[in-house]
Amino acid sequence: MTAAPVALQESTESPGRFRRWLTSPTGAQVTAAVVFIGAWQLLTLIAPRVPSPASVVNFLYVEITGGSHGGIVTGEFFEHFAITLRRFSLGLLIGFVAGVLVGILIGLSGLARALLNDTVLVLLTMPAFVWAFLTTMWFGIAWQAPVLTVALSAFPFVAVNVAQGTRAITPELKHMSTAFEVGRSKQFRHLIVPAIAGYIFAGLRFAIIIGWNGILLSEWFSGQAGVGFRTRYWFDANRYRGFVGWVIVFIVFIVVVDRVILNRLQKRAFRWRDQSDVDFIQVEEGQVGL
Amino acid sequence: MTDTVAETLQEDLDQAQVLRTAAGSRRRRYLAVVLGWLVFIGLWWLLSLWVGSEARLPSPGRVFQEIVTILQEDFWAQFWASIVRVFAGFLVAILIGTPLGFLMGRSKYWSNFLQSPVVVAGSIPGLTYAVMAFVVFGISFWGPVLAVGLISMPYVAINVAEGVHGVDRRLVDMSTAYGRNESQVFRHVVVPSVLPFVFAGVRLSFSLAWKVGTLTEVFGSSKGIGFQIRRNYQLFNMPAVIAWVLLFVLFMLLLERFVLVRLERRLFRWRQWERDR
Repeated sequence: MTAAPVALQESTESPGRFRRWLTSPTGAQVTAAVVFIGAWQLLTLIAPRVPSPASVVNFLYVEITGGSHGGIVTGEFFEHFAITLRRFSLGLLIGFVAGVLVGILIGLSGLARALLNDTVLVLLTMPAFVWAFLTTMWFGIAWQAPVLTVALSAFPFVAVNVAQGTRAITPELKHMSTAFEVGRSKQFRHLIVPAIAGYIFAGLRFAIIIGWNGILLSEWFSGQAGVGFRTRYWFDANRYRGFVGWVIVFIVFIVVVDRVILNRLQKRAFRWRDQSDVDFIQVEEGQVGL
Repeated sequence: MTDTVAETLQEDLDQAQVLRTAAGSRRRRYLAVVLGWLVFIGLWWLLSLWVGSEARLPSPGRVFQEIVTILQEDFWAQFWASIVRVFAGFLVAILIGTPLGFLMGRSKYWSNFLQSPVVVAGSIPGLTYAVMAFVVFGISFWGPVLAVGLISMPYVAINVAEGVHGVDRRLVDMSTAYGRNESQVFRHVVVPSVLPFVFAGVRLSFSLAWKVGTLTEVFGSSKGIGFQIRRNYQLFNMPAVIAWVLLFVLFMLLLERFVLVRLERRLFRWRQWERDR
């Protein structure tokens, strides 16, 4: 609303069509972005320590192209990003595979559930920075610390989701396939896997969001390279435009991966389902409480 | 006659049998849960023996000692400090998130306008909020409040928007037909049906908010659980770090189980599907 007059000035022709565009979904989103950047610019006038949007864009340009930040510091974007991505994928893989296995186990066997449920709950409640601290004490400043932080913080979310999915399999189907003497491995492939695929996917999305937060924390507290380390580097150097620039980088990364790539993939892969089913999984996902 | 008596008797017996096996399986389940804890603690103990260094992995017994000391000393003061901040943060989230949610639920335009900001705000890593709160407030009471408020706000907004959508049209129409004015409809129809959704938003973000709250205490605070974890970490006092973490986890689970779930059930009492679940 506040940006509407500003945007109107830009248009010189056909105000009717422009107004219609302005109230369309895209128009609303563009207006929101303009308001946000405007508010940010305004904030820099009130609080001079806040870096302006232009200075942040400039910083990111220098950082990505490897130019000079003044003095001897040069831009290092891809170096840090690649290191973080490598650790992130390894940690995610470990946490995800372990989570799926334990989740199926908990979902299928009552004994496993009674044995493991509380442990998984405790892990679920652990804040990621605790893992960052503990792994640093165990491994020092080494690559194992961030990898393990990602794995340990992602694992319980996958396990809980998969366990929920496995328990939701209708017992009738299971009884029927046993009665008709469908083999164990065939049951697994045709009954269990399709039934829990949605939950596994939801778990994966969760693991990615949680793990990303975990690796940033771990690198922030005890890294010598990586996105979290670089963010802290600029923060410690009192160069807030560098800090804000990197914050934007890691936010954009997670939003693109989660909202754009995974969200679309999920919708495509589970097209055959009722929309209400997919929504249901997402609600359940929320109830885990991140 | 005798047949029916025999039948009822048989039924009773069957029921008793069912109950007995149910009790048996419940007992077995409790046993397994206890066993689960024993296995967990046993593995931890073995691991600590194998590591053999208290600075790396202290034994369960050592950590238990530490927990007892902390409980005798200042646990409640620290825990209370964290609780007050987190709940003040929820209040901030409700104050900002509810109006936003109303806007989103009422108008298509505002729903489009606010959708991306709310979604992005919901996926920002907690580290960002913690550091931002520290930059804005330094070491202060308000840092964690701001961080918790910001992280919970999207959940409250989305839930309230959903709640506003779900307000029964027919009730509103009927109230208008019977000559209730807008503010009366708002107070007696809209607010009661949206209120549970405000709470649901807080509940969904509850554990995330606590984690970010403590993280903010790690950065900028002189009190609270997060501060204690950080202080002991810097002193390389591993038993105390683990003791504080376990106390945090324990109280989080208790709060969630016994306070929140019950409150939620009360608030959602009137909703059929919630009862059926």
